[in-house]
Amino acid sequence: MSTEAEEGGTVGGIDISDSVLIAGNAVALFLLPWVLIDVFGMVGEVIDIAVGGYSGLPSLIIIYGIVVIGYNLLLGYTGMLSFGHAAFFGTGAYVAGVVSGTTGSPLVMILAGTVVATLIAWPIGWISIRRTGVYFAVITLTFGQMLYFWALGPGAWLTNGDDGFSSVQTGQLLGTFELGAPVVGGIEFLSVYTWEYLMIATLAIVALWTANRILNSPYGLIFEALGQNQQRVSFVGLDVSRYKLMAFIISAVFAGAGGALFIIHESYIHPNTAYYWIQSGDFVIMTVLGGAGSLVGPVFGAFIFEYVANVISGVSLPVIGSIGSLWRIVLGGVFVVIIWAFPKGIYPGMRDAVIWIVDRVRNRGGEQG
Amino acid sequence: MSLLQTTDLVKQFGGLTAVDGVSLSIERGTVQAIIGPNGAGKTTFINCVSGLLDPTSGSVQFNGDDITGQDPHEIVQQGISKSFQTASIFPRMSVAENVQIAAFGAEHGSFRFNFLKRRESYDAVQETTERMLRSVDLWDDRNIQAQNLPYGDKRRLEIAIALASEPELLFMDEPTAGMSPEETRQTVDLIENLQEELGLTIVLVEHDMEVIFRVSDKIAVLHRGSIIANAAPEEIRGDEQVQEAYLGGAEI
Ligand SMILES: Nc1ncnc2c1ncn2[C@@H]1O[C@H](COP(=O)(O)OP(=O)(O)O)[C@@H](O)[C@H]1O
Ligand SMILES: [Mg+2]
Repeated sequence: MSTEAEEGGTVGGIDISDSVLIAGNAVALFLLPWVLIDVFGMVGEVIDIAVGGYSGLPSLIIIYGIVVIGYNLLLGYTGMLSFGHAAFFGTGAYVAGVVSGTTGSPLVMILAGTVVATLIAWPIGWISIRRTGVYFAVITLTFGQMLYFWALGPGAWLTNGDDGFSSVQTGQLLGTFELGAPVVGGIEFLSVYTWEYLMIATLAIVALWTANRILNSPYGLIFEALGQNQQRVSFVGLDVSRYKLMAFIISAVFAGAGGALFIIHESYIHPNTAYYWIQSGDFVIMTVLGGAGSLVGPVFGAFIFEYVANVISGVSLPVIGSIGSLWRIVLGGVFVVIIWAFPKGIYPGMRDAVIWIVDRVRNRGGEQG
Repeated sequence: MSLLQTTDLVKQFGGLTAVDGVSLSIERGTVQAIIGPNGAGKTTFINCVSGLLDPTSGSVQFNGDDITGQDPHEIVQQGISKSFQTASIFPRMSVAENVQIAAFGAEHGSFRFNFLKRRESYDAVQETTERMLRSVDLWDDRNIQAQNLPYGDKRRLEIAIALASEPELLFMDEPTAGMSPEETRQTVDLIENLQEELGLTIVLVEHDMEVIFRVSDKIAVLHRGSIIANAAPEEIRGDEQVQEAYLGGAEI
């Protein structure tokens, strides 16, 4: 995993500076809506099946991407399998929503949601990390479910319970820019690049940059070591609980920010999307699908997951008919095939494949020469 | 004052008393060997001192401080480190990273790590890593994944990790087990160097009598959890009780 820890930091021994990482991701984030909506849309017209994305989908993918970039720091490096990260996602969302009643500033909403999610991660993490493996997973699951039932019942005065929270009053970005408006008006091609998309994409770059920095700092090494031999970590003089708690809290920061962005994007949240254990499980699926233990891998997982959930679910096929709520079966199939073909996840798998092909081509070139 | 002092240390597993009232004092800068047949309680004794196990009774003093029952990381921070009997490494990290993490551990407490600072920029850590890898002759293998090292090299990596914690006292549990004669010779040289150049205090558990008699200042003989003799090598050689209990009358 060591090569992946240096992801974005070193490729083939060449040190890639932060600016290259940022620029590369910025290009990718710029291309995402174009590929998803326009390119896939054209393909859809040719094959006469609606496989093109809709305009809100890129934002949704990136929001979940931010969540799983953080979640991966926990699962992919320390190896701790949390089944309760919806607790932080949901809290980020509800807090941002509630705060919007007072100040609609999107940045304040995000900050508030992230801070409160981080604060509740402290005690939840402190208790959960005392156990490992299945017990850790079940304790985190239990915390998530406690919040779920709280949001449905006793917390309904704040969350609006089973009716869902819809009184979101998101204002303008920096008091100036309407989130739904395109950054550059009047050009059809650029209409999907709204202020909201710009804000979410910028935060995604901040998230990637931060995660990359953490992985290249001493903490990254310690997190990775925790995933491989905890006893040894304590026998080099490092407090295992402290670093596990730190990884847990860091991952919750990302989940909280993602939750806040989610409610800004959707203007609505229900306990089922906020806190239900299936939401926690979806984070696990995205991370493993995309590639746990690689910096950007989980974002690919979020892409595939949300694409199946939102586009494939709307596809109607001959014989089978409309896929609709069967999309989870399709997703299961996709998951099995990808993990069977690429046990480390789609991104590490593709990268290994590219390296393999490049090696083959080089070697052949060598033989001819 | 001795560097390490155990007083009536006892460890029971259910009905079995693995360590039975061990009082041992180890002087600074010496190599103390612990020998004894398999199951005598050598590893359990080390585990009780290093914090992996809590002793049933008795106490451990290090540098005059009572460290009985502290957590392993606290004990390491006070200056006791150990190399495990079976190589305990980070299998999917590079050889250099394995040592680096111990070097970071040694820095722990002197300052807080920065989340956003690259680990390459911690010069003291890089320097320690290189020095330790060179001392066990693994510098050239620094970029290899640890799990791909041959067994003897893994054991030497294990020693380098223990050293990178910059201990005052180093426990070595059968460091040469599974090593070739050449690797054993190198390890013995290393132990002698560590003691002479760094003034390190070493507690050595070992089966290879040649190694023991060459490097030890004192040899303690553990038999069924108790120390039946603790003296200079020449005396141990001549001790009849030891001959009988452990050496089985064999010539040494
Ligand atoms: N964790 C344990 N649980 C129960 N018995 C143990 C445990 N560890 C060691 N023992 C027993 O304690 C005795 C001493 O073992 P050990 O310290 O490993 O001996 P040595 O290292 O001298 O070979 C043995 O009888 C062993 O079976
Ligand atoms: Mg032993």
